[in-house]
Amino acid sequence: MTWLVWRQHRAQFYVGAALLAALAVLLLITGLQMASQYHSAIAACTANRSCTDQGGLFLGNRAVGFLVIMTLGTPVLAGLFWGAPLVAAELETGTSQFAWMQSVTRRRWLAVKTGWMLLAAAVWGGVISALVTWWSGPNNALHLDAFNNGRFDIMGLVPVAYALFAMALGIAAGTLLRRTLPAMAVTLAGFVAVRAVIALWLRPHYMSAVTVTYNLLRGYTPAGSYWQLGQGVLDPNGHLVPVPNGPAAFGVAMGYLPASCAPLNGGATKVAPSCAQALGRFHGVITYQPAGRYWAFQGIETGIFVLLAAILITVAAVVLLRRDA
Amino acid sequence: MISFRVDGRSVVPPYLQIVQQVRQALRMGRLDVGDQLPPVREVVAATAVNPNTVLKAYRDLEREGLIEARAGHGTFVLKRPPGPPPGTHSRLGRSLARWVQQAREAGLDDESIESLLRVQLRAAAEKEEIA
Amino acid sequence: MTAVIQTRGLSKRYRRVRALSDCTITVPEGRISALIGPNGAGKTTLLRLLSGLAKPTAGEMAVLGGTPRQDPVFLAEIGYLAQEMPLYRRFTADDHIGIGAHLNRRWDAGYAQDRLRSLNIPLDRAAGSLSGGQRAQVALALTLAKKPGLLLLDEPVAALDPLARRHFLATLAEAVADGGLTVVLSSHLLADLERVADHLILLAASRVQLCGDIETLLAEHHVLVGPRKDTTAIEKARTVVQAVRTARQTTLLVRGNAPVIDPDWESDEVGLEEMVLAYMGQDAAPAPAQLTTVGEDQ
Repeated sequence: MTWLVWRQHRAQFYVGAALLAALAVLLLITGLQMASQYHSAIAACTANRSCTDQGGLFLGNRAVGFLVIMTLGTPVLAGLFWGAPLVAAELETGTSQFAWMQSVTRRRWLAVKTGWMLLAAAVWGGVISALVTWWSGPNNALHLDAFNNGRFDIMGLVPVAYALFAMALGIAAGTLLRRTLPAMAVTLAGFVAVRAVIALWLRPHYMSAVTVTYNLLRGYTPAGSYWQLGQGVLDPNGHLVPVPNGPAAFGVAMGYLPASCAPLNGGATKVAPSCAQALGRFHGVITYQPAGRYWAFQGIETGIFVLLAAILITVAAVVLLRRDA
Repeated sequence: MISFRVDGRSVVPPYLQIVQQVRQALRMGRLDVGDQLPPVREVVAATAVNPNTVLKAYRDLEREGLIEARAGHGTFVLKRPPGPPPGTHSRLGRSLARWVQQAREAGLDDESIESLLRVQLRAAAEKEEIA
Repeated sequence: MTAVIQTRGLSKRYRRVRALSDCTITVPEGRISALIGPNGAGKTTLLRLLSGLAKPTAGEMAVLGGTPRQDPVFLAEIGYLAQEMPLYRRFTADDHIGIGAHLNRRWDAGYAQDRLRSLNIPLDRAAGSLSGGQRAQVALALTLAKKPGLLLLDEPVAALDPLARRHFLATLAEAVADGGLTVVLSSHLLADLERVADHLILLAASRVQLCGDIETLLAEHHVLVGPRKDTTAIEKARTVVQAVRTARQTTLLVRGNAPVIDPDWESDEVGLEEMVLAYMGQDAAPAPAQLTTVGEDQ
């Protein structure tokens, strides 16, 4: 049965391997360039003591950077092109019946096909994630944005889980709908919907966020690659001040401040004492997930998607085995 | 070796067609005593007829004593069916051809000729019974 | 003679539709059984139930001594050919034979290759580019190569030309001649079935109308032709399957071996086609006797 799976998907395997190889070559070359760029910049700024000022440095190639962001979509490709047709195409053409009548029980047929495909999906997601994570090293160190939406999704463990989920979704859709094209549509829509809902509404709440209020003049930046969930200014009563759309200083609209604060809007750095006193009645507030929780969050999200994948595969198996062939 | 033709549309059942073809071949001299009959499998492959049909035909012929199955070797012709020597058919066939020619010239069509023949056969059968 | 198939009260319902009702049949070993019936009578359903591809909603069945189940040992004994004869389009016949070798315990690759070579079917061409007849032969060869004990074929010759049909049926009959094989095949082509089948299962309106050895069934049926008159006496002694009455003539197809004493009635043997059509019911073509009688009346 394994042999049959190999024969059927040999071409797909070669295409996938070629794509991974191409990506690897591209990222290896540019990544090495970026790393050396980064290290020389660090060496230079250490000499000048200007390292905190390096945020503006752009590393690498814009096109490659864009490609890396696009790896957001690679997990769903596995589900679309390998997962959806896996069962559906065979049900459509009747070749599933051929296999079942060649002394292969339906259970074994599904188990072997699904097993290899899930493994392939994990490898697909894992290799891409490993390459992207390594490549992003300098950028992450520079911009400290690994925990942000968009970056979180393409590095670490979660791409493996996304790929497993996409594959399971494709297989389940194909099994239930019995036709390849509708299954592909459902896989794409379902993947996007679930990823969006989880990333935007669930992820911020995996652990209770940390909220810190601070002195506006002193400012506050959490350490490392933290994930900022919200930020604002509290008025003396503790209510959030709306974001000013006119002249402002330290996030407070000029309307709330004495005239002595006016120069701050123009870019002055010296704060008049009366202005400082007025500003002192306001506080900055930041809600965030600390950098130290990065791997915990990766683990939780991985667990969620692996669980979803398991549920989908179970559903597919139950439906296939109960249904008439 | 003899090859069989089974006509699916004939009123004669397939097994009987095979029996008749063996008998006819023996009469005409196409099959001789000691010749081997094709194995069931071969007949089936050539005519797409049910194996049991062929088996039945061979069994009937065996019961008549015309053929014999030798385990491990095949089925062989044992003896010719009782009847006139081979030349008889061609001789009678020729005189019949003359008679048919006469009947045609007299204006008889095929149906009338067949009907005449049937009447004569019946009459002859009755005579044999009385005798 | 052991029965390879035995069912009792077998039924299959899909939501509101009764595809098969109360089906009780027996197929002895070594038979080539013709499964006949109008479209929608339940032939495909019956074959799928016997092969284990579908599950019955009522009734019981024993196939090769057991219930059809998801078990490699049972699956190895059954050969099922769906009407569509599914094959992997991109794989060649040789590929398929290789697949069979990997998936089956019992596999005679040599048989399949010899079989196809003797029919001049290319082993190295993709199945998708073979003709319908060639595909059917490949599918049949693959099914036979696993040396099953029971073959279930759903309209296997429907899409074949006469020569391909002949080759297909010859292959089938040859395999049965080798022994250890029973075949059930459904078809509309009575002429083919008449020469190759020795057992009959007739389905109409999702029910079994006839089941038995063809020779026995034909011996049990007669056509009685007589004048237009009262037939209650006849009907009492036997079952009337079909009655055609015109102004001056009555034709009855009856089942039963009671002798006919009344000299007004002529008894005649019945052919397979006539018997089958009579059971298949109203949708059948009118009996030839009726047509000629109508002409006479005019």
